[in-house]
Amino acid sequence: MWNKSPFIRGLATGLLFLLLEGVSFFFIAKDSLFQQAKISGVIMYVKSEISSFVSNIHYFVGLQEVNDILLQENVELKNRIEELNAKLQQNDTLITYKSSNDSNPKFSYIPAQIISNSTNKLQNYIILDKGTLHGIKKDMGVISSRGVVGIVSAVSDNFSYVISFLNTTQSVSAKIATSQSFGPLIWEGRRTDYATLTEIPYHIKFMVGDTIYTSGFSTMFPPDIPLGTARKSSLIKGAYHKIKVKLFQDFNTLRYVNVVINNNEKELDQIIQENEVQCK
Amino acid sequence: MRFNVSNIIMFISFVILQIVIAGLIDFGPLLFISIYPLFLLTLPVNISTNKLMLWAFFIGLTIDYFSNSILGINSAASIIMVTCQPWVLKIIYRKGDLENQIRPGMRQLGIARFTAYIMICLAIHHLTLSLLEGFSLINFIYNLPRVFISLIVNTLLIQIIEFGVFYKRSR
Repeated sequence: MWNKSPFIRGLATGLLFLLLEGVSFFFIAKDSLFQQAKISGVIMYVKSEISSFVSNIHYFVGLQEVNDILLQENVELKNRIEELNAKLQQNDTLITYKSSNDSNPKFSYIPAQIISNSTNKLQNYIILDKGTLHGIKKDMGVISSRGVVGIVSAVSDNFSYVISFLNTTQSVSAKIATSQSFGPLIWEGRRTDYATLTEIPYHIKFMVGDTIYTSGFSTMFPPDIPLGTARKSSLIKGAYHKIKVKLFQDFNTLRYVNVVINNNEKELDQIIQENEVQCK
Repeated sequence: MRFNVSNIIMFISFVILQIVIAGLIDFGPLLFISIYPLFLLTLPVNISTNKLMLWAFFIGLTIDYFSNSILGINSAASIIMVTCQPWVLKIIYRKGDLENQIRPGMRQLGIARFTAYIMICLAIHHLTLSLLEGFSLINFIYNLPRVFISLIVNTLLIQIIEFGVFYKRSR
């Protein structure tokens, strides 16, 4: 049989050649460290090439799965981008007034969007797109980055009804930055960009252009929100100043607001009630 | 069977000859003696390549074992040499030379062709040997003078042995 087929003979010769050479190389590798290092390096190279080839095949076969995962991840990231974009727009109006330690901030905020707004009445109201489901309760303050917006007067599950600052029944406790003297800031119902700060004692000196901030004496609004700048003033009955304030806030273009949550409200209310009881 | 016995005797005597001559001639690293290829190259022409390779493997391994070289290096080189031998013989042989199934010796081939035959095979052997010793092409290039000197010396030695021992006997 071996002699009949030249192909098989050649094959056998080749195999024998490879076998004997392999044995020789095995002996060489066993005998000499230098050749051993070289041969093992070659073997390692071949091994790594083969393993990388195999892993490439694995990778290629698993590409469908990877694609699915990536697609899913893409969708998630897109959602996240939308979320962050919405937050960014709200951040325009966000004022981060927090207490010195972040772990327990005095105030926290719920971003909300104005659904309906009016500025042309004496009693203006605003409707927000967030309600009790989002944590809004009655008598919470509503602010934007440029000042006070109003106070929540009624809440449904998904909407809240806000008494706008542009309401003649509404007043906000405000102070003058330079002297820290405070008084109620009211809207007199004439122009949407002006309000009046009253009950500033006559001896308080201030300049036109002084910034008016919220005083922080009410539980609804955090302190030091810039409201506007002082304009012309008049002395009423020789007892107190009546200052015209140019508001920073433009209620006509208001879109995003933040509802203020006072984290200490319960505690404060409790103390106030106790003291009132004692006084009586 | 008689043939094999004579081959075994030749095998042993060539191993002894190789070891003795390699022990006697010591010219430093530039020269290595290998005359045992004569045994492989002058085996009868009709012997199959497989047998030839086995012979080459065992004589190379034996010589590696007795001389202090790297084990397996001579066997690898001689196996490659033996594998190339049929093609070299095809170049060297004239028509009619292969008829008698004889050993390709100096008498059968003539001095010139025998020298060419030996030199080509030895060149393959020596190149393989130096490649295996250096195991890189840089070392191989530095080893080329060594290969040339050894090739010339070994060819001369093999021709002397062939002329002195086998040429007369086969006459």
